[in-house]
Amino acid sequence: MAVSFPKCPSSPLPPLQTRNRAWSSPLSAPVQVGDSSKWALLEATKRCHLCVSATNGGSAVAPVEPSKKVQDSGTKTTPTDHSTKVENGIRPTVFSSNEFQDLKTGPDNSGRESTVSITVVGASGDLAKKKIFPALFALYYEGFLPKHFTIFGYARSKMTDSELREMVSRTLNCRIDQRENCDAKMEEFLKRCFYHSGQYDSEAHFVELDKKLKQHEGSRISNRLYYLSIPPNIFLDVVKCTSLAASSENGWTRVIVEKPFGRDAESSAALTRGLKQYLHEDQIFRIDHYLGKELVENLSVLRFSNLVFEPLWSRQYIRNVQIIFSEDFGTEGRGGYFDSYGIIRDIMQNHLLQIVALFAMETPTSLEAEDIRNEKVKVLRSMKTLEIDDVVIGQYKSHTRGGVVYPGYTDDKTVPNDSLTPTFAAAALFINNARWDGVPFLMKAGKALHTKRAEIRVQFRHVPGNLYKKCFGTDLDRATNELVIRVQPDEAIYLKINNKIPGLGMRLDRSNLNLHYAVRYSKEIPCAYERLLLDAIEGERRLFIRSDELDAAWALFTPLLKELEEKRIAPELYPYGSRGPVGAHYLAAKYNVRWGDLGAEH
Amino acid sequence: MTILRFYQRPSSLSIAFSSRHERSFSGSSELVTLTTRRNQCWRFSPLKSSNGSPLAGASWKDDGKEMPVPKVPDIGSQLAENTVSITVVGASGDLAKKKIFPALFALYYEGYLPQHFTVFGYARSKLTDEELRHTISTTLTCRVDKRENCSDKMEQFLQRCFYHSGQYGSEVDFCELDNKLKEKEDGKLANRLFYLSIPPNIFVDVVRGASRSASSPNGWTRFIVEKPFGRDSESSSELTRCLKMYLIEEQIFRIDHYLGKELVENLSVLRFANLVFEPLWSRNYIRNVQLIFSEDFGTEGRGGYFDHYGIIRDIMQNHLLQILALFAMETPVSLDGEDIRNEKVKVLRSMRVLKLDDVVVGQYKGHTKGGKSFPAYTDDPTVPKGSLTPTFAAASLFIDNARWDGVPFLMKAGKALHRRGAEIRVQFRHVPGNLYKRKFGTDLDKATNELVIRVQPNEAIYLKINNKVPGLSMRLDSSNLNLLYSERYPREIPDAYERLLLDAIEGERRLFIRSDELDAAWAIFSPLLRELEEKKVVPELYPYGSRGPVGAHYLAAKYNVRWGDLSDSS
Repeated sequence: MAVSFPKCPSSPLPPLQTRNRAWSSPLSAPVQVGDSSKWALLEATKRCHLCVSATNGGSAVAPVEPSKKVQDSGTKTTPTDHSTKVENGIRPTVFSSNEFQDLKTGPDNSGRESTVSITVVGASGDLAKKKIFPALFALYYEGFLPKHFTIFGYARSKMTDSELREMVSRTLNCRIDQRENCDAKMEEFLKRCFYHSGQYDSEAHFVELDKKLKQHEGSRISNRLYYLSIPPNIFLDVVKCTSLAASSENGWTRVIVEKPFGRDAESSAALTRGLKQYLHEDQIFRIDHYLGKELVENLSVLRFSNLVFEPLWSRQYIRNVQIIFSEDFGTEGRGGYFDSYGIIRDIMQNHLLQIVALFAMETPTSLEAEDIRNEKVKVLRSMKTLEIDDVVIGQYKSHTRGGVVYPGYTDDKTVPNDSLTPTFAAAALFINNARWDGVPFLMKAGKALHTKRAEIRVQFRHVPGNLYKKCFGTDLDRATNELVIRVQPDEAIYLKINNKIPGLGMRLDRSNLNLHYAVRYSKEIPCAYERLLLDAIEGERRLFIRSDELDAAWALFTPLLKELEEKRIAPELYPYGSRGPVGAHYLAAKYNVRWGDLGAEH
Repeated sequence: MTILRFYQRPSSLSIAFSSRHERSFSGSSELVTLTTRRNQCWRFSPLKSSNGSPLAGASWKDDGKEMPVPKVPDIGSQLAENTVSITVVGASGDLAKKKIFPALFALYYEGYLPQHFTVFGYARSKLTDEELRHTISTTLTCRVDKRENCSDKMEQFLQRCFYHSGQYGSEVDFCELDNKLKEKEDGKLANRLFYLSIPPNIFVDVVRGASRSASSPNGWTRFIVEKPFGRDSESSSELTRCLKMYLIEEQIFRIDHYLGKELVENLSVLRFANLVFEPLWSRNYIRNVQLIFSEDFGTEGRGGYFDHYGIIRDIMQNHLLQILALFAMETPVSLDGEDIRNEKVKVLRSMRVLKLDDVVVGQYKGHTKGGKSFPAYTDDPTVPKGSLTPTFAAASLFIDNARWDGVPFLMKAGKALHRRGAEIRVQFRHVPGNLYKRKFGTDLDKATNELVIRVQPNEAIYLKINNKVPGLSMRLDSSNLNLLYSERYPREIPDAYERLLLDAIEGERRLFIRSDELDAAWAIFSPLLRELEEKKVVPELYPYGSRGPVGAHYLAAKYNVRWGDLSDSS
């Protein structure tokens, strides 16, 4: 049944049929009954369901009670029963049970096709150019997009469609392993790209967009995905306008938002509240692109489909877990945004914490998104609030090496001269549950360090009563097993084991049981954005962050962040390109940990 | 503990010993000594001591002169006067030429032999020292990674090699050997090692002659014997009984060269020096264990010896069973030879006696492939036409103890198969309640983890794990966490004989088989072997170069096992 994707299909496959994910197999899974049944009530007269909410005293859509959820599946639907619900976030229009069936089984069963319109809001931005459009093209190239789709760029700048295409085309490239028909494909893809210029807070402009979208969608069932590639302060404006003026009338409307999701628990909650005035939880796709990384995806597979790992996955065998992120460059003149957030908010509280949650969660009931997210929330809520004693922060200073001068963080013109914003942080976290009690989870994230790397290191306990202890020197913990999952660069998994050095002596050595992705899997690993965009199109929420997860994540970090700012804690300075502040070692030592990435072998 | 560099030739013996220090689990207590004798053969009844050295005591008289050697402890000064004489009995044989002399030279080259040593060849043929040296020199090679001074070293080594011609049953001839040895030993503390590279029917004669007439007067005297150790329980215990008339247990070094293989040595390290393996090492997680040995050639005109023993005696009852015992044993108290052998015996004694139903035997037949025809076993002129001797066998064994109850240990050994190899495969159970089970088809057991320890060729350890195929879909793949020895350790891995010879010289008994182990091993196989012979069970024929008789699959299926080496992925 596996449909692999190395070959570009001669014609794009029907939507949803190309992927083969157990938990989202669209052919077998019944369409979920969501909780937007209220929309149907508004349907007949109102162009936009949310307009009605607004007219109802300007209040948000009343929360839907669970009891109101329509339990009907398609087969029960009668042509007159317009309260039928389809997939979450899908706004039903007047359609028959036949049409309903169509949604379930794909477009080929009836005359009515579905289409997806992807609107990149903030199309002229960097992320859009570098990541989003290329990811969309890759999906198209690989045949993962539905047969009919439309891509719109939306931004304030005046541009024509062809100017957008010109801009987009510069960053498109074909995957290295498939260059066939690349130009032709690119041409076809660009033809589906359009541009609409408008203000981010103007409903009128979004109404125009809506018209254009309708034109492209024709009579198809329209699904709309908005990618908000814009600064957080205009998130709400855009969400308001899109949902009021440019929601799909007969399919789903989803919004992808990227971090930052607030600066702390309060602002995050306010943002969520704001979004929920216009959107349902099901419509919000909070992206954390780290969750789309191949090896993070693989983490669950490793844990749950291998017998050899699960028995070891607890405080009984694991001594500590390290989650390490480092970049080998600084802000390089683009520190404006960063300076108001800092490394803890930028990397730790989201990317690294999400990895911890995935790593440490109990076995979910199934691979369904909600089951996984339930388990992740449980981990986050079991975690001890981070205290200032368990954190070390740093900031890089300038450094001259080999005649080259590397600037300090505060040398960045976009950064205030007296900025105390950490560009490095290390923290020790604890999960106070039965599985992990007492096991330190160490996180470390920094900019302008000596390597670029993201990895998870699991250090095991030493062998009790080790027969070979004479061979290990005094510190048995220095020769323990270690499982390393290197997320980037050079994806790899390896398990450090002790074995005998071949020869007549009995010298032990730590060698690696290795899996180098580049060696075993020659195909290029897809970019995280491709996976996440595709998931959003398919309604697969596993890799997106739910509101309660976000709340729990902020709850862990907010007190610390407040304290750092209130007390104006000065970061420890470290030279650009170094291994970071030595304070990180002392933090680790406090919990009897030794950073695995800074050992002698590196 | 200090770790000295290995491959640096020590300038004195004391360094030679300390460079091995990290493996010195047995002390050098046997260097505690005694009396020296000169110019006289020892003609009394067998000597025994607790450690393989001649007994300390007044009986060691030497024409009235008694030369008490100080009772030791200062190893440094003692060792300088120490020498070891290695006598290869059966020096003109194949094993001696191909394995023993080259292994001795490698040890010499690497600096593992004591500063003063002598190598003697002993056999019936008349040869001069020069002729022996010439014979030997044709098979000596330097390790591939160090060719420096190779011919110098070889020359020096050959200067220490001598030959003595004698009958295997003649005490007088051994007495002459003793005189020659003494001459070379030159008053030093003499340790003597006899390597019996001869047919089993003359083991006892040689042991008698050598132990009576050529035992070391003041150091230890040890005998290395190689399989076959009898044909069954009775003949084996008879052999042991006879050996023990002249030797004590500590003097007998029963070699199983498989135990000297690098990865077999590493097996204990893997188990006991890694936290991640030990929790899995039981019936709770391990579904079955497979011990597989295959050769890609037949007897090739040398089937005379083999026909008399068959593959079960030749490979299974010793090599594979030894690996199994090492694999399955409980954690020993220490790495001392006796502690490890105690645990191995416990495993062997917990094993169920093998029944005919749990065995499949096979014999290769002729096969023509690509215009080339490969002979059948019975085409070998040294094999009787009607021979029923198995050249292939598969067996399932069980260890009825708390750790392994119900886990099948499958063994398979054969000649003239499609490839050459020896490996241990550990198949784990399937993940209970696997979240990804829809990815695995109907048979969850086909996608379980598997640990493979490849002993030869291309030494490797790998763990098969399930992981996601990179990409946007969720396809699972079984990939390997790998350790290829040739990549990580480019240096050549020493031959098993080097390790074992060195161990024998050092008195390290961990890798040698004790009498009670041997008895326990025979007890498992003897009833089966007798039944096979009594009932004249006909082996299943399989073509030369094939994967062996299909019966092996049915045997595996009976215990819900699938051979790991014959699946598609391997």
